[in-house]
Amino acid sequence: MTVYESDLPGVGKKFEIEIGDGERLVIVTHNTGKREVFLKASEGADSEKLFELPDRLARTIGTILEGAYFQPVQSEQVETMLAEGTFLEWYNVDDGAEIAGQTLADARVRERTGVSVAAIERSGSVVPSPRADTVMEVGDTLVVIGSQEDLHEFDVLVSNDAASPE
Amino acid sequence: MASEVALFEVGVLFAAVALVGGIASRLRQSVIPFYIATGILLGPYVVGRLTPYALEATEFVELGAELGIVFLLFFLGLEFNLNRLLANRSRIGKAGTVDLVVNFGGGLVLGFVLFRAFLPAFLVAGIVYISSSAIITKSLIDLGWIANDEAEPMLGTLVYEDLVIAVYLVVASALLLGGGDIGAAAQSIGVALGVILVLLAVVWFGTPFFQRVLDADSHEFIVLRAVGITVLAAGAALALGVSEAVAAFFIGMAFSSTEHVEQLERLLEPIRDLFAAVFFVWIGLVTDPLVFAGVLTLILVAVVVTVPTKLVSGYLGGRMYDLDIRQSTRVGLGMTTRGEFSLIIATLALSGSGTTLTETVAQTIYAFAVGYVLVMSIVGTMLMQYSTPIEEAIVPRLSKVFSDSSVEN
Repeated sequence: MTVYESDLPGVGKKFEIEIGDGERLVIVTHNTGKREVFLKASEGADSEKLFELPDRLARTIGTILEGAYFQPVQSEQVETMLAEGTFLEWYNVDDGAEIAGQTLADARVRERTGVSVAAIERSGSVVPSPRADTVMEVGDTLVVIGSQEDLHEFDVLVSNDAASPE
Repeated sequence: MASEVALFEVGVLFAAVALVGGIASRLRQSVIPFYIATGILLGPYVVGRLTPYALEATEFVELGAELGIVFLLFFLGLEFNLNRLLANRSRIGKAGTVDLVVNFGGGLVLGFVLFRAFLPAFLVAGIVYISSSAIITKSLIDLGWIANDEAEPMLGTLVYEDLVIAVYLVVASALLLGGGDIGAAAQSIGVALGVILVLLAVVWFGTPFFQRVLDADSHEFIVLRAVGITVLAAGAALALGVSEAVAAFFIGMAFSSTEHVEQLERLLEPIRDLFAAVFFVWIGLVTDPLVFAGVLTLILVAVVVTVPTKLVSGYLGGRMYDLDIRQSTRVGLGMTTRGEFSLIIATLALSGSGTTLTETVAQTIYAFAVGYVLVMSIVGTMLMQYSTPIEEAIVPRLSKVFSDSSVEN
């Protein structure tokens, strides 16, 4: 991704951002604070004005785009309801967690909490339907299914007790 | 206090400008020719001949016009960024030099043919050389060209022109105010250069001072201090016989390297617009439309010669920025507009009336410049607005001509 910045003497600054397919987004920031947003079909093409924004509104929209209001990433608490009362959840295995380093069989996850581990994400790849002898390591993300209470109990096993005394 | 109708007259002036400005923007035209026309109509030469009532170029209006010139040039200096120019110097330098050689050179030849003397030719050259930063920049934004590639050579060339015009005003005012003979002219050029050096030193060493002066919390103080310094310096320069416009330009440049530059632009813009409007109306007030009859041929010849010169130089400038034929054509179309600076040179010509220029020549140059700007501001704006059909007509032919000799990017 390349951002081309150029000065517009007496007007402000122009930023051109390549957004794929040869298209470019052109943002003109006026000295007055006004922003104008254009779309160019290709590098040499004419710009087609999409919209303009006053300074404050532009900043607000900018923070939304930046993800300051809502970050669409897999954070600690992403939950998806599969059916009434049953949730799909992602948990990180913290450093010092009780089950870190144990296999699923040793940790007896299902007997103790009632949740089942559907998959393990490890350094970018996913281990689907882990077997009883799969080891859960620090830094793994466990994809688990269970009820709200079951998940609460499971939370204790994967988090560092020192960090979250309960 | 002023007479009881003086305030009313100023009220009429501003109300008329406000009304006419609205009409101009409705017609998608530049306000400048409309303001001048307002001055002509309401002044002693039109309304004044038909009725006992007319707006006069009172001392207030004259001073307001003077302030208009000062703030126009102050803003030029404020937005003038030497680093920006240096960063882009090779491209701006090439495009700007072509623009200078073609248009100023063409203007010199034209002026010489029309007036048979160096000084008038020098003034005509300035008048036809300098494009209108105000109108062109506004049109770029209104038409949405500002986001296109052609905006860069246009704005870059305008910056180059601004620098040239600062130097030009120094030389021109020295030649005009220096009296007839070479010695006196040399002396006044000496004084002018001295003042410029002082101002450059102010720009160079004064930034911390300007920075401190403007470190105020309230807008009121910032505006008052900036206006105080600018008008004081411009007035002092004028008292010494140097163009107040040049002094204002350098003061603007000194402020441009402080951290307050954007704030100043925001706060002083209304002041500039207010007094610039007074300046354009004043131009109209002191212009007798009947004199246009005498200079009509001059104006027509100048329009016929100087529209193509800008088209050519703008086109070449665009090519130097590696733009394609269509975009380069647009640069040419966009650069044709002349405006406020040509008028400032025209008022300068009046200052030499009766000394370095005969009164007839000074009046002729003045009337020519006003008529020329009235035509060129409208023609230039139209050329930009109707660029699409013009491009469709021109570009295929140009492509045929250049297809053998140039490589398309």
